[in-house]
Amino acid sequence: MRESPSVWAFPTVLTLHTTGMGMLVGASWLLDLRLLGINRNVPLSGYRWVFPVVAIGLIVNLVTGVMLFIKNATTWGTALPFLVKMGLVVVSAATILPIRKLVLRSGADQRDAGGAARLLAIASILAWTGAVTAGRLLAYLVV
Amino acid sequence: MNLAHLHLIMNHVPTVGSVAALGLLLLGYARRNEHLKHVGLEVLFLIALLTLPVYVSGVAANHELRNRSDISIDAVRIHQDVALFGFSWMEFAGFIAWAALWQWRRRGRAAKGMVPAATLLLMMALVVMGRAANLGGEIHHPEILAGGTPAPAGDPNRFVTSAITQVAVYSHWAWPAAETIHFLGLSLSLGVLLAVNLRILGAMKQIPFADLHRLLPWGMLGFGANLITGMFFFVGQPAQYTSSAPFYWKIIFLVIAGANFLYLTVFGKAWGPFDEAQGRRSGGANAPFHPNVADKAMAILSLTAWLGVLYAGRMLPFLGRSF
Repeated sequence: MRESPSVWAFPTVLTLHTTGMGMLVGASWLLDLRLLGINRNVPLSGYRWVFPVVAIGLIVNLVTGVMLFIKNATTWGTALPFLVKMGLVVVSAATILPIRKLVLRSGADQRDAGGAARLLAIASILAWTGAVTAGRLLAYLVV
Repeated sequence: MNLAHLHLIMNHVPTVGSVAALGLLLLGYARRNEHLKHVGLEVLFLIALLTLPVYVSGVAANHELRNRSDISIDAVRIHQDVALFGFSWMEFAGFIAWAALWQWRRRGRAAKGMVPAATLLLMMALVVMGRAANLGGEIHHPEILAGGTPAPAGDPNRFVTSAITQVAVYSHWAWPAAETIHFLGLSLSLGVLLAVNLRILGAMKQIPFADLHRLLPWGMLGFGANLITGMFFFVGQPAQYTSSAPFYWKIIFLVIAGANFLYLTVFGKAWGPFDEAQGRRSGGANAPFHPNVADKAMAILSLTAWLGVLYAGRMLPFLGRSF
């Protein structure tokens, strides 16, 4: 990418990474908010759309993320904000698995997600917020 | 033509438009006509939206004209400072108007106090905008100064715009913090708008449209966070943006996307028939949804505009000069 003769390559990859982030984090948050009791009138099964959106966002960001990392590997590889970001991405992506199980198993009219789901939702919201923050700070703290 | 011309073309929109919206709202009160109030709120929202390019082009005009000897830079700066207040009141009124329209669509009427609140905020915006317009006129309409009174000189250190620039330039954490919030707000808005528009386009058919549509206020929350942080960037470091092509694309996309958001809000098909027992429109599976070609075209326009906002914003550091 750095050797690419096109001045568009890097900004385009960066834009894709931002779009993927919006899909991934936005959709995850909306489901987390539902698990915390917002929009209770909508049955849990009404949130199944979240998983394909999150999956697409994750794949796009994995690919573009690797491309962005290669460009800065020497500085980012040992930078604390980057390691924190990676840790948080893994944690927040991991929370979606039990949440997914729970939502896919829910009955057609099931409204209550239960206490464990609320804890998972809080963990997911905090981890995604932290991951976005760490990613953004990467641009300011690490050259 | 430069951006000063654009500002001169557009600069009457906030004042004249506010008068029109206020007239509709007051007429609605006088005639006890809810429909007139509804239209008044819609006009108010659109005027609040159009106030954005007016403010932005005004700052650009300032940067183009500041070195000319026949223009008093103090008059420009006072005008800009008051205009920022007018802009803020106007956006506040626009958000309240949007919330009232949302409740209207959902429950058949706005919550108590919302429409009067929007009306009062609009009056406040109109007063401040009127003052800003007057001060703007003094920049290059010497005939208004017939009495010979010079434009009141302000202390540059006491301008709000200058104070914001100080924070943006000298604070180590303010800019990164605002950038972070800007990205979080982006995620929230994009998540909601993708889901709603893709559903209109035929994805996720098994989910009732109303169940997605009811998430719109969360999208608006993200947008509000991004308007505030975005204005912090612009007011803090205007020179980064006033001569930046992607920034103007971003504003154009934003206006299109905002108008589309209004369409989506008052969208008649989003909810089922009004349910007397529940006191609101029926949602969920009781609200069959059949989008037509026009609805789908609007959804495509919406997605294009929002992705355009995102792309142009992300390109700011590359095609423009911002960081």
